[in-house]
Amino acid sequence: MNRIEEVLQHRRKFAVFPMVCADHCSNLLHQNFKSVATDGKKLAYVLEYGYNLYQYDGILLFSDPYVEAEAMGLELDYNPYPKIVRFSELIREDSMELIRKDSMELIRKDFIRGKEIKALRLKSEEIKGLRLKSSGRVDEIIKAAKLLKKKVDVPIFVSIKGPFTLTSFIVGPENFLKMLLNRKEMAEYYIDVALQFQLSYLKKLLQLGVHIFIGDPMASASVISPALFKKYAYEPLAILIKESKLTGVYVGVHICGDTEPIIDQLDSLGADILSIEDISLKTKTLKMGGVSTLTLLNGTPEEIKKEIKKALKSGRLILSSSCDVPVNTPIENIKLMVDEINKKDGFKKF
Amino acid sequence: MEISLIKKAVVEFESDKIKGLVREFLDKGVAPLDILEQGLIPGMKEIGRLFAIKEYYVPEVLLGSETFYAGFELIKPLLVQTDIIKKGKILIGVVQGDIHDIGKNIVKVMLESSGYEVLDLGRDVPNEKFIETVINEKPKILALSSLMTTTMVHMETIIKILNKKKLRKTVKVIVGGAPVNQEYANKIGADGYAEDAAGAVKLIDSLTVNPWS
Repeated sequence: MNRIEEVLQHRRKFAVFPMVCADHCSNLLHQNFKSVATDGKKLAYVLEYGYNLYQYDGILLFSDPYVEAEAMGLELDYNPYPKIVRFSELIREDSMELIRKDSMELIRKDFIRGKEIKALRLKSEEIKGLRLKSSGRVDEIIKAAKLLKKKVDVPIFVSIKGPFTLTSFIVGPENFLKMLLNRKEMAEYYIDVALQFQLSYLKKLLQLGVHIFIGDPMASASVISPALFKKYAYEPLAILIKESKLTGVYVGVHICGDTEPIIDQLDSLGADILSIEDISLKTKTLKMGGVSTLTLLNGTPEEIKKEIKKALKSGRLILSSSCDVPVNTPIENIKLMVDEINKKDGFKKF
Repeated sequence: MEISLIKKAVVEFESDKIKGLVREFLDKGVAPLDILEQGLIPGMKEIGRLFAIKEYYVPEVLLGSETFYAGFELIKPLLVQTDIIKKGKILIGVVQGDIHDIGKNIVKVMLESSGYEVLDLGRDVPNEKFIETVINEKPKILALSSLMTTTMVHMETIIKILNKKKLRKTVKVIVGGAPVNQEYANKIGADGYAEDAAGAVKLIDSLTVNPWS
């Protein structure tokens, strides 16, 4: 059994799973990021290389935050990493007809009543209607997941976006945040569109038997109030978690920035893992984190060791970076995290 | 009718009401500078206070800023140059490759409502553009923002170019954004770091040693 699973099942105290993503691994191999991010085979290759180099306890299949948003019409430019050049045209008031509004209302009511959600998903032709300008990267992620499943015998967590953050990418973050207060129905509608898209994407991922990591950084209390989190972000996250867990996989949630004001809400989502910056916050859910990304990037071995030592005092933990490992993080700094956990176990992984 | 109604409209982000209110006060003969200094600016300062104590979050600040600007645009052409004693010129922008500008926009409105003249280069700004503008506009402060670990490296590059061109003594450089902290600011040789918009105003006040502050 893998160390992450053992920690989840209370059989072990620590595992190590730094959030090493495709950008860092591409850099290790001097690969152009766009060529990796748009090709499932290359994506799997660089992530496998990262895993073999560091020997951490799981693989995070994460290319960049825009995979799903791009499939919904977001336009990106790579120089060398992706940035948004135009928000989705899907999000226009006249596009409301693309989705049967009654089905979304049913999803919300149904979730509240705790019934099966499965029957209420969009039909395939409706999902197709949403993919106005799909670049096919969703399919590349699926391809990469299949390849990694065949090649590597550790848990593979595929990163997907929380519907709240996904909506901010397709509408534009500033518009979206203002909409939460002055055009509430529209905000709910767009979040439901994002949720439905994610449910269809999730269905494909769950068929592969991979675990899921949901990143929802825009829902952080560094951005929105706990009340807005409850109103807009909580339920879509809980729906994705519930759907995933029905198939027996593990689900992590990552929200960086300030999470203290929403920690009780996060703790009640039903996730298996909470990846947060401040791991001193009390939760029933297993926490993941402990080492600041900036310390990893710029810190001395002593500074990193100091953060690890402090983190391991907090109890059962998946030792990780507080957010995505920066591209140019020194190799030895990431290895140090793995070594420290191996030392705790009294063995060296080969 | 009290001028505090304008402050209230900003604080409660009543962007549909603010223009009507400002026009009413102007029609009654209230000086544009009084509307600014007794209505709009106190409103923005209150928003800054509420943000600092976590009663307001980013959406509330964005709507408040929008309301402030809606009122400000009406009175701006009516203000004569001597009406506003500018505290100093600040150059601000989000570094190359980074399009996350919400934080920068909030800092900008807080600075403008605190009496600074702000030159905003926007987002995804090439390093050379910052240097060129420092040379041409001679700001007191260059404020750089980044939300990504992949783009924050440009902050260091900009400071190195300023050093190389011997411009470093003419402008103070401050940095901010989610992945940045005080240690990083020290490491790259910045003059300061602020965690949030209110902190940025205080930092700039201290760096410009303004008699108002």
